[in-house]
Amino acid sequence: MKNVQIILAGIGGQGILFSSRLIAEWGLRSGLDIMGSETHGMSQRGGSVTAHLKLGSFRSPVIREETADILYSFEENETYKSLKFIKSGGICFANLENENRFDRKVLDLLEQKEITFRTFDASGTALKIGSVMSANIILIGYSVGTGLVPFEYDDLKTVLESITKKAHLETNLKAFEIGYKAGRG
Amino acid sequence: MAAKSKTQEETRILLGNAAIGRGIVEAGCHVMTSYPGTPSSEILPAVVAFKKELGLDTYIEWSANEKVAFDNALAASMSGKRAAVAMKQVGLNVASDSLMSSAYTGVIGGLVIISCDDPGPHSSQTEQDSRFFGMFAKVPVYDPSTPQEAKEMVKEAFELSETFQIPVILRPSIRISHARQNVKLTPVEKLDRPADFEKDPARWAATPRYRLVLHRRLNETLKQIQERFEKDTRWNYLVEDGDGSSLGIITCSMSFAALMDILEESDLKGIVDVLKIGTPYPLPQRRVADFTREHEKVLVIEETDTVIESQIIDKSNVLGRLTGHVPQEGELLPSVIHNILADFLRENGAAHLEKISDTGLADRIDELELPIRRPTLCPGCPERAAFYAIRKALPKAIYTSDIGCYTLGINLQAVDTVLDMGAGITLASGFYQAYHQDGNDIPIVATMGDSTFYHSGTSSLLSAVYNNARFILVILDNEITAMTGMQPTPGLGVTADGGEGKKVPIEGLIRGCGVTWIRTIDSYEVEELIELLKEAREYTLDPDGGIAVIVARHPCLIQYPEARREISIRVEVTEDCNGCRYCIDYFECPALRLIEEEERIEIDRKYCIDCGVCINVCPRGAIVEAVD
Repeated sequence: MKNVQIILAGIGGQGILFSSRLIAEWGLRSGLDIMGSETHGMSQRGGSVTAHLKLGSFRSPVIREETADILYSFEENETYKSLKFIKSGGICFANLENENRFDRKVLDLLEQKEITFRTFDASGTALKIGSVMSANIILIGYSVGTGLVPFEYDDLKTVLESITKKAHLETNLKAFEIGYKAGRG
Repeated sequence: MAAKSKTQEETRILLGNAAIGRGIVEAGCHVMTSYPGTPSSEILPAVVAFKKELGLDTYIEWSANEKVAFDNALAASMSGKRAAVAMKQVGLNVASDSLMSSAYTGVIGGLVIISCDDPGPHSSQTEQDSRFFGMFAKVPVYDPSTPQEAKEMVKEAFELSETFQIPVILRPSIRISHARQNVKLTPVEKLDRPADFEKDPARWAATPRYRLVLHRRLNETLKQIQERFEKDTRWNYLVEDGDGSSLGIITCSMSFAALMDILEESDLKGIVDVLKIGTPYPLPQRRVADFTREHEKVLVIEETDTVIESQIIDKSNVLGRLTGHVPQEGELLPSVIHNILADFLRENGAAHLEKISDTGLADRIDELELPIRRPTLCPGCPERAAFYAIRKALPKAIYTSDIGCYTLGINLQAVDTVLDMGAGITLASGFYQAYHQDGNDIPIVATMGDSTFYHSGTSSLLSAVYNNARFILVILDNEITAMTGMQPTPGLGVTADGGEGKKVPIEGLIRGCGVTWIRTIDSYEVEELIELLKEAREYTLDPDGGIAVIVARHPCLIQYPEARREISIRVEVTEDCNGCRYCIDYFECPALRLIEEEERIEIDRKYCIDCGVCINVCPRGAIVEAVD
């Protein structure tokens, strides 16, 4: 498999680091080298959290602007701020309640760069299944369902099972499944 | 004799700091000490985790400050054991007295100092480059470019330290400390080294006359180490695909990693030759001189300052920070290195690399004026309550503060100065004397956290007491070192690996410094705290008075969720709110949100933890306990 660069962006408490770990473990098990980094603001809660993840042959843990293949964004403002990292032809999966509210001009500019912009109301879905903390897993499940990412359903599910704490296992698998089905459309 | 245990080789995704911790353990290190500080804080906990996992008997301690940590590690080394001490870059300022002297007296067992740099800076008061401390103290420095390399360098640093009887610095930059990589674990070395300090007063207690001898010996040692670094190809090497270009780049650490990715991704391999340096001090001078001679132009890209560049003897064809080709401050993010490289290639007619510049997308996103999330104290944070009370009680005071979460009291306009660890007290004392000399006894309120007080509060406080200074000191005691990730303080009586330590209560220390006016209060009791502050002010003006110390105590709610109100106080905003912003400007709780269109405040239930402290705040009394 070729190199993949992924950015996960959101705010504290959205499970960014867990999501990053999920994909990193998948990479490790797929025989890829892992390089990544995390930046969090000084505040304990509610501050910006960004994880950079590079799978394959890399040296630097930080992704440069216009080179990321995939952006997962879990919060609207963080989505705007992180779009600059996506390369032409890349993909963004954004947790968004309402795509119509997203800035029209930004969408046009993404189209010019042939960036695929897929939105899904992962937070709303998470609320419906009674687990607001699962929006991250729902959005990742959704991306797998679209078939636009390099992770296969079974492989990622296996990793999810092995890194989730027992108490959250049922919820996480359910979230993954719901997201996946929505992604398949 | 060293014996290798037979654990299986394994690969694990590790944080850079955990990889460093693993290196410490693999090297058979006996003693590890540290004082927490971003970006170094995760090293010691990683050593604790590996110790427990592998059933080792490593001695590990959170020391009261970096100098204490350094000296404890040094004594272990003087006893023949291997010792490591970890800190952030400004921590090395605190430990620098010991560092400078120990370079002369040297070590017996390997002593590795890990000083984590913070270009940016992300979470520090300076962007200082720890490698310069290596030069200043005359001790060798290793500079890793990946977590894996950091782990291996730690092990070699122990060996180098023992071979040459000299302390050795490992300087990871923040991006290495906080990177994650799949790291190959290797077996742990088991070194049987019972403590055996050999008395040698001419060395360990050297008088100035012998210090000259030691200095001469140190200079000779450095020459030998430089020779070893000249021959080293593990950390210092030419990148193989350089194919005799007329342009060269000398680089190191994170900058090297970023540069290599850019060359690879932009199909520019072979356009420039790259010399990677992993031992910036003492610099392998001949290797560098050969490289600069063989190239028409050589660019030096290093973080954070000019350690390699400054040491290059013939700089006639060398570009870098000193020539303005590399920014003099700020982090060398990959995008910055990309643009430095693009300019270098263009100016020398080598290749075209499109610069990363403001694109239409960036411009449009700027136009959206997205809210900036500034760091703020957590909802329900007891320090917020204390700061509010301080400002309310003594609005005209000078507020000297210190390093910790509570630096964010600046948002509540209750912090005027933040210099370094301990300066909350020393600046208060200095301001008092400067004004008092003119017959002007102004109100001064110093704030300092518990961990900072243990770190460097006592010498400042006793000196102020002794010299008749008058001010109020509020110790914000949340019973943990919160900012850096919840490390225990001496007040807790818990050691670094969870064992039982002896509690050292703060009040006893304050009394010991000669203070007689000491009051302890729960930070949540805002009204009482305001009254207490006014009393304290009276005491500082009383002819028989002096320094007044209030210990405002309430546990950090992140570490101790049980410290929330037993009976929650759910608040609501009444019709009396007119959106005056007073609570936003002077209380700044994330749960208070201004609805601008409606000119009123709303409670954001996502954040509110029902502490009810804001009831004290509204001048119109519009924040009240909800009636259900």
